[in-house]
Amino acid sequence: MTKNNLLILALLLLVPLSVCCGQTPPESIDLSKFPAAEVEAVVVPVPSEIFSVLDKLGSPNWRGELRESFGKNTGNRAQVALRLGTVIAEGFIAVEAEDPLKVQEIGREVLALAEAINVRKAVIARSKSITEKADAKDWRAVRKEFDGALHDVRGAMRELGDDELAQLVSIGGWLRGTEVLTSIVSKNYSSAGAELLFQPHLLDYFTSKLDSLKNTRLGKEELVVRIRKTIAGIRPLIGKDDGSKISADSVQRINKMTGEMVAAIGAKEARQ
Amino acid sequence: MKKVFLVLALAALPVYAYVNDALSFAHEAAIPYVKKGFSIREDAWGGDLGVKDQQAVTAQLFKGNDYWFCLGTEVRGAVVTLHIYDSKGKLAEAEAWQKGRLAGARVSPSMTGTYYAIITVEKSPEERTGWAVVYGYK
Repeated sequence: MTKNNLLILALLLLVPLSVCCGQTPPESIDLSKFPAAEVEAVVVPVPSEIFSVLDKLGSPNWRGELRESFGKNTGNRAQVALRLGTVIAEGFIAVEAEDPLKVQEIGREVLALAEAINVRKAVIARSKSITEKADAKDWRAVRKEFDGALHDVRGAMRELGDDELAQLVSIGGWLRGTEVLTSIVSKNYSSAGAELLFQPHLLDYFTSKLDSLKNTRLGKEELVVRIRKTIAGIRPLIGKDDGSKISADSVQRINKMTGEMVAAIGAKEARQ
Repeated sequence: MKKVFLVLALAALPVYAYVNDALSFAHEAAIPYVKKGFSIREDAWGGDLGVKDQQAVTAQLFKGNDYWFCLGTEVRGAVVTLHIYDSKGKLAEAEAWQKGRLAGARVSPSMTGTYYAIITVEKSPEERTGWAVVYGYK
């Protein structure tokens, strides 16, 4: 094959197949054509998706954001599920802080919490791996293990028919992640940092999930009721439209609301 | 069969075993980006579609990150595509590729907010084609 033929072959391989197959995507589409149910659900981002942006915007003091205590168990399953979410979120913070001891402590706590709601088996391997990888300071791998632990624990809950409890794990993680996000942005406010709070679809998704709990007892849990109110309080503060500016005052208010909620989740006296 | 939309622990639903197969292809599509430092999420979307059917799936994305969305199907001979649109329905991807049963699209969000991955089964020898999407960020 000549040099020219090789060049032509290489160029052909570089042409996206979508173009040669007439599948060039339209520049715009009508999203309303998709049934509502299909665009309603949303994957809840893990805290490190937001933390990686904060790292690019500055040098947050991640160690300063770590909690000394992760709270106490009351034996209430809703509280344990929410705590599990907050503790896994704490794991992502400890990874950012590159604190191996804290990461290991959190790994053990995740295991204990998983045991309290009968899903220990799902996270044994993850917990072990978190410890080993934190020892090796392989932070990327530890981050993946925390994401995996979140995924596995929710999967195990669904297998047990606890879909709604699994949702609380996600919400607990979101609350703690948002508390830290707002804490960091408050300390060095920038509109770019505050923009990370623009998550209307996600908040609407949480609201719809909490409003439609089939387990009415779960829906009446004090913590669940408080979370619903907290999300309703946050929703108007994050702006309505794309590009809406989120003020420093709003960031501080969201920090206070999420901080109080995370504290309530970890409180020993949470209602049983 | 009604279109199915799942945001879930795919392994938890044995009835969607074909989606699990599709998931392994989605992860195969993501391999190059793992090597480039993208963290691939454990969560995934999955379902099944007829030929020329489309599915919109939703993601909260953050300005400042780069994302790769990767699609796979277990059906040999199928052609699937994936493209990313913003909340106003405008094409938002920086690049996209398609290769038979695999496809991918990269987006660097111009603003934080909701984005939609549109999955299309362009061709398939099967009546229903299972698919799965994973995404990674860095």
